[in-house]
Amino acid sequence: MCNACGNPAAPGHWTEAGAATPSDRLRARFHRARVLDDILRPYGLTAHDGGVVPGIQLGTMAGASSIVHNLSEVWAEAERLRGAPIDPLDPRYLDDL
Amino acid sequence: MTSDTRLRLTLLGGYLGSGKTTWLRHQLHVGAFGPRVHVVVNEAAETPVDDALLVGAEGMTLLAGGCCCCVGREEMIAALRRLCDARSRLSATEARLERIVLETSGLADPAAIVAAIQGDPVLVNHIVVEETVVAVDALHALAQLATEPLGRRQVGAADRMVLTKTDACAPAALATLRATLATLNGHATVSAAVLGVEAALPALSADAMPVPLPDLGGEDARGPIQPTQVALPEDLDWSAFTLWLSALLHARGDDLVRVKGVLRTPAGRLLLQTVRKVVQSPEILPEQGVSRSDNVIVFIGRGYRPEDLGRSMRRFLSPTRTT
Repeated sequence: MCNACGNPAAPGHWTEAGAATPSDRLRARFHRARVLDDILRPYGLTAHDGGVVPGIQLGTMAGASSIVHNLSEVWAEAERLRGAPIDPLDPRYLDDL
Repeated sequence: MTSDTRLRLTLLGGYLGSGKTTWLRHQLHVGAFGPRVHVVVNEAAETPVDDALLVGAEGMTLLAGGCCCCVGREEMIAALRRLCDARSRLSATEARLERIVLETSGLADPAAIVAAIQGDPVLVNHIVVEETVVAVDALHALAQLATEPLGRRQVGAADRMVLTKTDACAPAALATLRATLATLNGHATVSAAVLGVEAALPALSADAMPVPLPDLGGEDARGPIQPTQVALPEDLDWSAFTLWLSALLHARGDDLVRVKGVLRTPAGRLLLQTVRKVVQSPEILPEQGVSRSDNVIVFIGRGYRPEDLGRSMRRFLSPTRTT
């Protein structure tokens, strides 16, 4: 644990299951950030994970940014930055194919 | 992968007077929970507990300070932490506690207790909630389910339902109850017990009809709880899938009573299950060859169109790059 930032507090978020070795975990982090970025772009948000700083960096096109620790927090924070809910079952989202 | 050495916890729930203690006492008597088991009993009313429970268990803790899913939560967390602490002082090679059975009060929502344990930074490192067993009173459950939202939540949270008092219940009434339970919770295994002793349960005939359960105010206004199966693609991207599921649970966690399934990942077969917004840490299952139920996730919930789940997932798994 890093005593400056207090990470990691929990023994692996459930979304990190399935990656056993450190290199797998790092690769999974990069990959996940890339997919998340693709998903958030239509909402006017960006996601970035440099692999060094713990957590995922979320940002808006206007420059506001924040760091979240896991995927449960991502969505709450993305909604806050966006100012509107993000619902994967929203008909407008589903029909935008 | 190192094997998981955390304590196993079995949660035993069920409505008031549904036969939880009777069932537990017999299970401890026959050693169903293994040799080193500690029993934690929560009594909403402050009544003394039968010492007979102690037979077959290594120790017992009584939580009498109120229901542990709400007012007694702090006390429950503290008691579980003490157990974990005592266990951690022993070397892994010594004979130490293997399992906790937590018998909830009849007024507890098992999902809230699971959430409390997994939300505690200490307990989540020491305890795996392995199974939720819910005792269902075969004589009175239908009446309770018709009027009590709590009874429905308890049934909805179960991994295993034990029908009690089935000897006193007419076969037709029992079939109706089972069909009704299946509408509330289609994935739990169902067994029967009379005074704790396992009883044979006849095959459910196809003409057993569930009793329509009346709406109980706001909670049921979003339609009936129904199971939906979503088949996952062979080459599933686990990262994208977790992104989708976490977004779904964030937005619809209160509607999704239960999500359960086995996924094939590069690390092996992964058992995934959630209760409302809480995801249990996924377990790697042993390989059993190709199983038909792999890569199918069951969603149990309400308030959405079933076909939207699959569409939404595919949308997430193949986002169109806009930059």
